[in-house]
Amino acid sequence: MQNFPPNSGSGRGYQTLEAPAESFEQQPPNNWKGVFNISSYTQYFNVDTDVVINRLISSFHPTAGDFFNKIEANPDLYGLIWITTTLVFMLSCFGNFATYLMQKHTDGTTTWSFDVGYVNVAASGIYGYAIVVPMAFYFLLQYLGSNASLIRFWCMWGYSLSIFVPTAFLLLIPVELLRWIIILITGTASSCFVALNLRSYIEGGNDLTIIVIAAFLLQMALSIFIKVWFFP
Amino acid sequence: MSNSHSDTIPLHPSSQSDIDEIENLINASVQSGPATVLPARPPSPPRASIPVSSSPFIQSKIPPPPPQSSSSSNHKVPSVPAAPPPPPPVGNSSSIVATGFGPPSNTLTEPVWDTVKRDLSRIVSNLKLVVFPNPYREDPGKALRDWDLWGPFFFIVFLGLTLSWSASVKKSEVFAVAFALLAAGAIILTLNVLLLGGHIIFFQSLSLLGYCLFPLDIGALICLLKDNVIIKMIVVSVTLAWSSWAAYPFMSSAVNPRRKALALYPVFLMYVSVGFLIIAID
Repeated sequence: MQNFPPNSGSGRGYQTLEAPAESFEQQPPNNWKGVFNISSYTQYFNVDTDVVINRLISSFHPTAGDFFNKIEANPDLYGLIWITTTLVFMLSCFGNFATYLMQKHTDGTTTWSFDVGYVNVAASGIYGYAIVVPMAFYFLLQYLGSNASLIRFWCMWGYSLSIFVPTAFLLLIPVELLRWIIILITGTASSCFVALNLRSYIEGGNDLTIIVIAAFLLQMALSIFIKVWFFP
Repeated sequence: MSNSHSDTIPLHPSSQSDIDEIENLINASVQSGPATVLPARPPSPPRASIPVSSSPFIQSKIPPPPPQSSSSSNHKVPSVPAAPPPPPPVGNSSSIVATGFGPPSNTLTEPVWDTVKRDLSRIVSNLKLVVFPNPYREDPGKALRDWDLWGPFFFIVFLGLTLSWSASVKKSEVFAVAFALLAAGAIILTLNVLLLGGHIIFFQSLSLLGYCLFPLDIGALICLLKDNVIIKMIVVSVTLAWSSWAAYPFMSSAVNPRRKALALYPVFLMYVSVGFLIIAID
């Protein structure tokens, strides 16, 4: 004599399809323990020294376009925070020095003066750009229905700024034409990095080319701003 | 004063202990004269863990007895004699005295100069442990067990003031930048180590990073007095290397060895930026 329903022994009633208990997940497990708990943020800093160096070096190759594949499993915010901080320091430090050199080049009698306002402008400019622009792109792409991940955007934009650190050093040369050439080359490289990676990541096809172009132009605008404000 | 009678309202347990305390104080003062004062709370408990006070009392409600002819230099506040007799056994035995005086004294009524002297000696001893070569450097936890935040506070403010004095224009902005950089920098560096999965105690790390500023303080003072760029560069490089050397063992032992460079680079960055501020402020 057969019991009805047939698998009542397992206690699940008519449910014949056994849902795997926790084994399917659409995204990696999220250890979120609250906003004010440090351990919920450590998942974004789970990188070793060689991983960070690897990502840094790959950010110097503007045409590869595979950065998002590299960071797919383990995006990190370490690069964003410390590359932007290094850049703020470099811009304020070398910016002062370069302004002095340029004035000395043209004038010959100027004395050294340290303008501490450079620190403020550098901090607000770089931190503001690196935080707000990826967020804006994230919300825009979410609105337009494409895939977007805020952490990965922050990670990518953060690493894209790393090329400006040696640039700040090179821009010390007090020859105006050379400065413009340097900044245009590095600005283009950084913008290509951003644009190509973005294009390979978002899945909207050709409708979203305008987004890619906007990212390119924003990065170019940042590089021009760096040149004009800090290395006049 | 017992509450065993059923016709009285039973006392709250804490008031029962207060009544016991008053009884004990009266008995103690009758027995051994006014030379002993029951300690209210142990002074300067060790910082690395939660302070343990087994004394059930928080405040002594009885005013201290009138001063005796013992070594009191303060006229307004009655002071505790330097070597009181052993304390009564009511729950005070586990209090720890960092200064080694013997039984704990009442820090609330001691002279102000004693408090200041104790804090200053702690600052000096921490400084010697952190910044100067000593045999404890290999074990950072042992080195700064008795951390405090007064030392770092003095060093940060002193550095900000020195930089502000050296500047010829925008003095207050220079101080603000220096202070914000150092204070926020210490907090962010500690958070960085914690986020990378390291194991440090937050305030101990803040304390250590503040103490490691001492060489840069000296460098800033020398640069204030001597205005030559070459001398400034040499002095700042030497003090920068000294500060980094002081902070290195602590930071590097706190994280996984594969992430050591990730934890140390921001420390280096902060000290280099402070060093640059010292050179560049004219």
